[in-house]
Amino acid sequence: MEENMNMTAERSLEIITEQIAQSRKAVSKSTGQSLYVAGFCTMAMAMAVAIVNIIAMNNGFTPIGHLLWFLLPVIIWLAMRSINKKQAHAPVNLVSSLVGKTWWTFAALVLGFFILASLWNVLIIRWLSSDPTVIVSQQVAITPVIILLMGMSISITGHILKSKWLVWFGIIGSLVVAVGDYSGIMGAILARISSIHTVGIWHNVSPCLSVFLFALIGLMLPGLMLKHQK
Amino acid sequence: MFQPLDPLLHSELRLAIMSLLISADEAEFPYIKEQTGATAGNLSVQVEKLSAAGYIEVEKTFKGKRPCTICRITPKGQEAFEAYVQALRSYLQPKG
Repeated sequence: MEENMNMTAERSLEIITEQIAQSRKAVSKSTGQSLYVAGFCTMAMAMAVAIVNIIAMNNGFTPIGHLLWFLLPVIIWLAMRSINKKQAHAPVNLVSSLVGKTWWTFAALVLGFFILASLWNVLIIRWLSSDPTVIVSQQVAITPVIILLMGMSISITGHILKSKWLVWFGIIGSLVVAVGDYSGIMGAILARISSIHTVGIWHNVSPCLSVFLFALIGLMLPGLMLKHQK
Repeated sequence: MFQPLDPLLHSELRLAIMSLLISADEAEFPYIKEQTGATAGNLSVQVEKLSAAGYIEVEKTFKGKRPCTICRITPKGQEAFEAYVQALRSYLQPKG
């Protein structure tokens, strides 16, 4: 682009439209990159948690691999920081700020819910069950709730970026995986392929499978599509 | 009646810079360079002209250990851009 002062009005309008569209595209690409990286890290973490749980339970320990989930936000942040250092930042505008705030809210809700639900499931239920006068409440299903929250965030991101398929990826993907996990379909599939000795181990691996599947459908694939959209 | 066009904005590169910044809160220099396809030298000159006119503000900071230049449009720049678009309309509207 040069310092051409003899532009027509049409050419001026063309430049304005072009640059505004490019700005929007850059934000979409950058969001796609973030979704892709988050998806990749989540899938890798789901595999790591599953492997640690299998090893731990085979050696008589509790499924301590789930503690690794706390590292996920740190790993995603480090990965994003390393990528951002290498390339020019997408501009900060209303769209990128809304997308950022949506995912910040998601992260805060998930972290808070994960800590409270884990406390309830591990400590309070154990304490209540030791008192025979109290009826023990049901355990909180952590994975489907997190997947539904993630689906909602993906869908809102789709609305902000005006990407219909991202909206539907979020809604359909999260519903299928969350219902599959909550209804026990995922567990039933794992139980079918496991023996009586390994069914307990697979039970602790099934949330990892749900998260892995949703990270693939809801984060990595839409991220890849946004990154490569024309 | 044709309205006069702001000569500072009626240049391809400066208009492109302003159009990028009008839809963003802020943008880094390498991003503007990438989007406009301009050379760093030419871009610096044009950014300086817009900054001198008070249309944009330039912040020199650091990103890690590397220097980083951030550009933002000012309220005066927004007004000038709006007036420029308004003036463009008078050239495009059919005479009746």
